[in-house]
Amino acid sequence: MEILASLEQSAFSAWVRESGSLWAYPGILFMHTIGLGLLVGASTAIDLRILGVASRVSLAPMERFLPIMWIGFWINAVSGSILLVADASTKLTNPAFAVKMGCIALAVVDIFLIRRYVFRDPGLDRGSVSPIGKTLAAMSLLFWTAAMTAGRLMAYIGQDSGAPEFFNRIGG
Amino acid sequence: MLVSFANWIHATPLGWAVGGGVPWLWPACETAHFIGLALLLGCVGLFDLRMIGMAKGLELGPLQRLVPWGVFGFVLNVITGVMFFAGKPYQYLNNYVFWLKMLFVALAGINVLLFYATGLQRRVEAVGAGEHAPAAARVVAAVSLLLWFGVVYWGRMLPFLGTSF
Repeated sequence: MEILASLEQSAFSAWVRESGSLWAYPGILFMHTIGLGLLVGASTAIDLRILGVASRVSLAPMERFLPIMWIGFWINAVSGSILLVADASTKLTNPAFAVKMGCIALAVVDIFLIRRYVFRDPGLDRGSVSPIGKTLAAMSLLFWTAAMTAGRLMAYIGQDSGAPEFFNRIGG
Repeated sequence: MLVSFANWIHATPLGWAVGGGVPWLWPACETAHFIGLALLLGCVGLFDLRMIGMAKGLELGPLQRLVPWGVFGFVLNVITGVMFFAGKPYQYLNNYVFWLKMLFVALAGINVLLFYATGLQRRVEAVGAGEHAPAAARVVAAVSLLLWFGVVYWGRMLPFLGTSF
C-alpha cells in the first residue's frame, strides 16, 4: 500500500487529477468507456447467442470476436490502473470498487470457461448449446451487469474522489 | 419551444423523481444507460465488424437477428435519456456537448435509414460464410462504428467539455 500511496503522490497522478487537460482524467475515463463497450458489448452479443438468440448464427466463427474482448479488457486494465493510482486512497476504501473487481474477476474466469465448454465443445453447432454453456453465458451477463453497476455506484458510495474539479458525484 | 418542453417535463412527477426526489433513481438510470450502451455497441457493433470483414466464417443474414437486441439497447437509452432530461433539463439544454451527442445519434439514424432505403440491407442479407460484404456495406458499417463511438465520446465529455453537472 506504501507503493500505491507514493504513486498517488507522483507527478503523473497529479497530472491525471489536476491538469485540466482533456487527455488526463476525462480522456482516460473515455478510454475506459470504450474498453467497456468492446468487452461487455462483444461478450453480451456472444452470451445472447449462446442462450439462443439468433440461433441460426454459427457459434464457432464467433470465437473470432474474442480478441475484441481482450483488447477491451486491456484498455480497461490500463485505464483502470491509471484511474486507481491517481486516486488510490479513496478508491481502495470504497466497497463498490471491491465488488466491481470481484465481479470482473468472476466474469473473466467465465470467459475462459465459456471457451472451454462452448467453443471447445466437440458438439458445437450441432444442436443447441449444452446446459453448462448456457449457464455460463447467463452468469457472464450477470457478472458484467454487476460490474458495470458497481462501477457506476463508485461515484455515489464511499468517499469523494480525490480529483478536485472532476468530482464523480453527479446528477441526483 | 424546447425550453417550454423542458419546463413542462421537469415539472412532472417523473422529473421530480429523477431530479433527486427519488435519490436512487438517477444512478439506476445511469446503470441502465450503460447496459443499453453495451447492448447497442455489442450487437450492432459485431454486425458492423462482420460487414467490414472480421470473423468471415459468419453468415450475415442470421447475424442480423442480433441487431434487434441492439435496437432494444438503443430504446432503453432513449427512455433513460428522456428521464435524465426530465430530471435536470438545463444541464443538457445549455450544453453544446449534449447537442453534438444528439447530432451524432441523428446521423447514426440516417446511416441506418440509408442502409435499408438503398436496398443495401437486402444485398447484405445474402452474404454467406467466407464471402465479402459489398463495399458500400463496409462504408455504412465503418460510419456506424465511428458515429456510435462518437456518441459515447460526447456522452462521456458532458461534464468536462460542457457544463453538465
